[in-house]
Amino acid sequence: MRRLSFSLVAAALLCIPALAADPIKIGLVNETTGPNAEAGSYTVNGTKLAVEEINAKGGILGRQIELRIEDNQSTNPGTVLAYSKLTGEGGITAIVGPIRSTQIQAASPTIQKGGIPALVGGTDPSLTKVNNPWIFRVRPNDSYSSRVIADFGVNSLQLKKWAIVHSTDAFGSGGMKALTTALQSYGVTPVLIQGYTNNSQDYTPIVLAIKKSGADILATYMTNSQDLGIFAKQLRQLGVGIPWVGSPSIVTDTAMKLAGPALFGTYAVADFTPGSGAEAKSFAEKYKAKYKLDADVYSSWAYDAIYVLKNAIESAKSTEPEKVRAAILAICGWKGVEGLYCFDKNGDGLHGYNVVRNENGRVTYLKHIDFKD
Amino acid sequence: MNDAAVKNAAPARAQNNVAGLLVLALAAIALPLIPFVLPVSDYVLNIIMNSITYAMAVLGMVVVLGYTGQINLAQAAFFGFGAYAVALGTLTYGMHFWVSFALGLVVAAVAGLVLGLTTLRLGGHYLAMITISFQQIFDLIIVNWIDLTHGPDGIAGIEPPSLFGFHLTDKRAYLVFCAVVLYLLIWFVWWLPSTRLGRAMRAVRDNELAAETIGVHTLRTKVIAFTMSAVLGGIGGAFYAAGFSYISPDNFNFARSVEFLTMVLLGGAQSPFGAALGTVLLILLPEWLRFLKNIYLAIYGISVILIMVFMPEGIWGLLRNAWNKVRKPRPLAVESVPALALDIKLEHSTPMLKLENLQKHFGGLKAVDGIDLEVAPGTVHALIGPNGSGKTTSLNVVNGIYKPTAGKIALDGIDVTNLKPHDRAGLGMGRTFQNIRLFQSMTALENVMVGAQRENNPIESGREALTQRAMAALQFVGIADRAHIVVRSLPYGTQRLVEIARALAGYPKLLLLDEPGAGLNQSEKQELVGLLKRLRGHGLTIFLIDHDMGVVEKVSDKITVLNFGKKIAEGTPQDVLRHPDVIAAYLGEAPASGTA
Amino acid sequence: MEALANNLQVLFQGLALGSIYALVALGFVLIIRATNVVNFAQGDFAMLGAYAMVLFLVGLPGNTDLGIPGFETGVPYWLAIILSVVVMTLIGLAFNYGVYYPLRNRSFLPVLISTLGASIFLQNTILAIFNPQPRPLEKLLSSDGVTIGGVFLDSQYLVILVFTVCAVAFQYFFFEHTLLGKKLQATSQDKDMARLLGIPVALMIAITFIYSSVLGGMAGILIAPILFVSIGMGSIIALKAFAATIIGGFGDVAGAIVGGIIIGVIESFAAYYISVPYKDAYAFLALFLVLLFRPQGIFGEKVSEKA
Repeated sequence: MRRLSFSLVAAALLCIPALAADPIKIGLVNETTGPNAEAGSYTVNGTKLAVEEINAKGGILGRQIELRIEDNQSTNPGTVLAYSKLTGEGGITAIVGPIRSTQIQAASPTIQKGGIPALVGGTDPSLTKVNNPWIFRVRPNDSYSSRVIADFGVNSLQLKKWAIVHSTDAFGSGGMKALTTALQSYGVTPVLIQGYTNNSQDYTPIVLAIKKSGADILATYMTNSQDLGIFAKQLRQLGVGIPWVGSPSIVTDTAMKLAGPALFGTYAVADFTPGSGAEAKSFAEKYKAKYKLDADVYSSWAYDAIYVLKNAIESAKSTEPEKVRAAILAICGWKGVEGLYCFDKNGDGLHGYNVVRNENGRVTYLKHIDFKD
Repeated sequence: MNDAAVKNAAPARAQNNVAGLLVLALAAIALPLIPFVLPVSDYVLNIIMNSITYAMAVLGMVVVLGYTGQINLAQAAFFGFGAYAVALGTLTYGMHFWVSFALGLVVAAVAGLVLGLTTLRLGGHYLAMITISFQQIFDLIIVNWIDLTHGPDGIAGIEPPSLFGFHLTDKRAYLVFCAVVLYLLIWFVWWLPSTRLGRAMRAVRDNELAAETIGVHTLRTKVIAFTMSAVLGGIGGAFYAAGFSYISPDNFNFARSVEFLTMVLLGGAQSPFGAALGTVLLILLPEWLRFLKNIYLAIYGISVILIMVFMPEGIWGLLRNAWNKVRKPRPLAVESVPALALDIKLEHSTPMLKLENLQKHFGGLKAVDGIDLEVAPGTVHALIGPNGSGKTTSLNVVNGIYKPTAGKIALDGIDVTNLKPHDRAGLGMGRTFQNIRLFQSMTALENVMVGAQRENNPIESGREALTQRAMAALQFVGIADRAHIVVRSLPYGTQRLVEIARALAGYPKLLLLDEPGAGLNQSEKQELVGLLKRLRGHGLTIFLIDHDMGVVEKVSDKITVLNFGKKIAEGTPQDVLRHPDVIAAYLGEAPASGTA
Repeated sequence: MEALANNLQVLFQGLALGSIYALVALGFVLIIRATNVVNFAQGDFAMLGAYAMVLFLVGLPGNTDLGIPGFETGVPYWLAIILSVVVMTLIGLAFNYGVYYPLRNRSFLPVLISTLGASIFLQNTILAIFNPQPRPLEKLLSSDGVTIGGVFLDSQYLVILVFTVCAVAFQYFFFEHTLLGKKLQATSQDKDMARLLGIPVALMIAITFIYSSVLGGMAGILIAPILFVSIGMGSIIALKAFAATIIGGFGDVAGAIVGGIIIGVIESFAAYYISVPYKDAYAFLALFLVLLFRPQGIFGEKVSEKA
């Protein structure tokens, strides 16, 4: 009798933790306030969508995901603090974010010290070259975006007189350098390289310079939607109609809303494109249904990050940092929203971009260009 | 409370003070050592690191804004000079940390010096604008000069320094080192206001014109203040870079300068402890308010307004005022002060003051239109005339506040026409103002000490002598017992006397008095006449403006009368006051009584 | 010929942007003259005006975290402008009583800081109410612009230029030829004397803040179709507007206008001929030089301190 009741009690006691299995905590370092709060809100949207979907289907390894969001105030020190807070808390399996390369750079030592996987969305190529085994990138970096732009412009559009317009911030300068290098490999030297500081209110001098240079194709690495909008409008007002291939910011929802017809007919390299495949399409539909907004790259990469983690934790059957790390590196051939993932030893998961076109306000998918290295 | 009780209370209070200081010192030493004893998370260490390095920069704001009253919105640029010097020096140029550090401070100092020099022409809003422009240009350069500064990518991998061969890679050890440096800097900034330079700074803040006039080299003081602020900012930046190992331009922009300013105002700009308090609060507040998510910055903005409205001296100021109300003022030992040395030897008959064809025009208005005047040494010479006759303007020109349009001014035979007011003070020209211009936040003693600080003052050098001189001057005018009272709380008549004491402390040869009798009642005026006669007895020359004919008549040896900027009469009181032109100028009719 | 057209284009852009700086500077100067306060939130008035237009033309997106409901509106453009002016009037009043009035007897520094705090508060409140997305705003005229002789004249910029001229003319007429305008001038020149003459100084100052707020709001409404509606749109303009007031002559109305135009033109040409990324630096350098060599600005008077 006693033995039976003892085992009943024991079984009951053992069941309780299983029933109330503690959640898997995933951190999100996000730009909730500060100048980049707009993008930050989309990232939260994408993350939450993934978390809710997974939780509704039973979570990961039977445990629900709990999201721990920390605001980095859109600053570098803020990112360092957010990361150290999350890594110091204990019990967090992995951290997602942010998307700005300088913030990730600033937090890199903290991430290394923290010893848990960090999945980032910054595209500065050097982020995964600093021997930090805990950084994983769930977007294709800028060395690929520039090679895709160059490949598409030179080989598909057959145009050789390039004008490059870029923001002087980290993203723009890095992209410009990478693009120039990529063009060199095709034997092309740009006829014009023009930088500008973010939030310039007038782009007339740049447009005039483009006209003067006789360029027959324009490539841009521009960060802000407002800058894109003003530039695009002034470009058209001054009669410049050459083909334009831009970095992903040119097909964000906001940029297209602000610039309107001025961006019709432009090409872009984009990591996230709803028309690029079934996963992307389904994500876009779910996002729109839930948030009444069009999904964009700010939300898609975070969505993928959560799913990458799910896959890794499930295949590792553990939330131990080292095991998750190894599992992430082993992912190859899984199709996410951003594309086909195959993690290389540096932690880069994606190696190519989509080429898309803005056709009267709708983004249509043209092709995907991938690189082996 | 009788004397015995006071005497007994004093040692007890002194004991309390020492005990309090000891506790404070122990806490200060213990604090940075906590991370070695208890496990402290990286997050907390980062916050502390942030606080310490920012606090260093905010100390700079205490010096330039709190002490000297100059607005500085470029502190983040100086912070940046230190940071980039260390980063570029060690990583790009392979120099030793301390060499890069020193270079960074030099660059910051030069920049601070340049900004300080701009105060020659500008103050207030203009200075704010100049410092903002400087900050903006700095920002644009570190972002766009990519070859030098790596631009927006920033610079990563900055290593902490070694100290005497011991490499401070352990964050906690580095923190202890930074804390020690911070303590030293706090001590320095705390000690500064009681030094000669510190008093000069506070004088410039409280009343720049008066400071200049009584002998403070105001431009040099402001330049030093800016340079100090810049160096403190640079120190903070250098340690910040080494502590966080990564820097990028968005940490050294205008927003950061505004943050430093807000920190010093919140904590209390007049005190290094206030600065530290403000820094810590404004770093912790956003962390504590994280739960408010989107609206905490809005609350932050409102809080700034509320602080300005209700706590202008910052939190430290609030605490200190409350403390002062509770604390009783120190008892004063008055007996041991020697008499004020004032004697001027009258060896020759060169006029103490000589004006040759002095002219001062404001556009078309000829306020002073060709005045020739000689003031004999050791006499009291009055300058009178109806309103608008050019008396005060003349005095201001003599003093150096205005530059004459034409003409020459000689003090005891020396041509001073092109000298700055503080240089004239350095030659023995003293002055009081019609509207009292004291340094309101300083005690009577400190006010008078500033007067004694003028260059070439023939007294012994050193703090002791300065204090003695000031006490003697206060005693001379009869208010030595109020030496330690802040001037703001003294009655009008007493403030007048402090101003005179301040002028006398500078051992003047020539004393310029602008309406010394203004606001005094009859008996106070009698005392004034007595004082002036005593001063003349010591050999001083006095040149004064006053409206009260009774006073003028009783005390002057000679009177000059002005009208419309020109001299219309000159001579002894008897001659002048009956002169028909003079009467006509004032009244247009026969004189009624002595008072105007 | 192309070179001439390009230069004219650059000039037009400079004049147009300069007019925006001038409009905001005008509001600045009025407050400085009346209260000796430098209002760091002046640019945010422009931002508020633009957002008011969004509120009336489009609606509120709503914020579930803060419990603010979203709703749509859609009034005609002209009505939206009028309603936005009303909103700016209320904001000017609130600013006067909330930020200036409690500090009216203190030195300039606390007030300066307060206006900085107000700026942070306003930007973040708007951030909470509307989400951070930048938004487009329709132009006033249906035509995008017209090209004359190779120079494209943006219709909105033309509207801005016309409005600036009208604002200046109105201001001149109002201040010089109406009793209220004279009273406002008297208040700004000598508050105590004005009080003694029976002028209700506090009311005059409130009116000044309202006028400045409306002017700033109009600047925002006019420039938003070009620069788009965003939280930070005012800060960028404000700093340059402040520089304009100094270059033109601190406290001088004509100076503010001239200063604004000068900064706009310098920026535009510096960007075209020298360097686009550093174009802001040249505007500040010009300011630096003016401050060093002619601190009273172009139209300002040298003020000697009275002893």
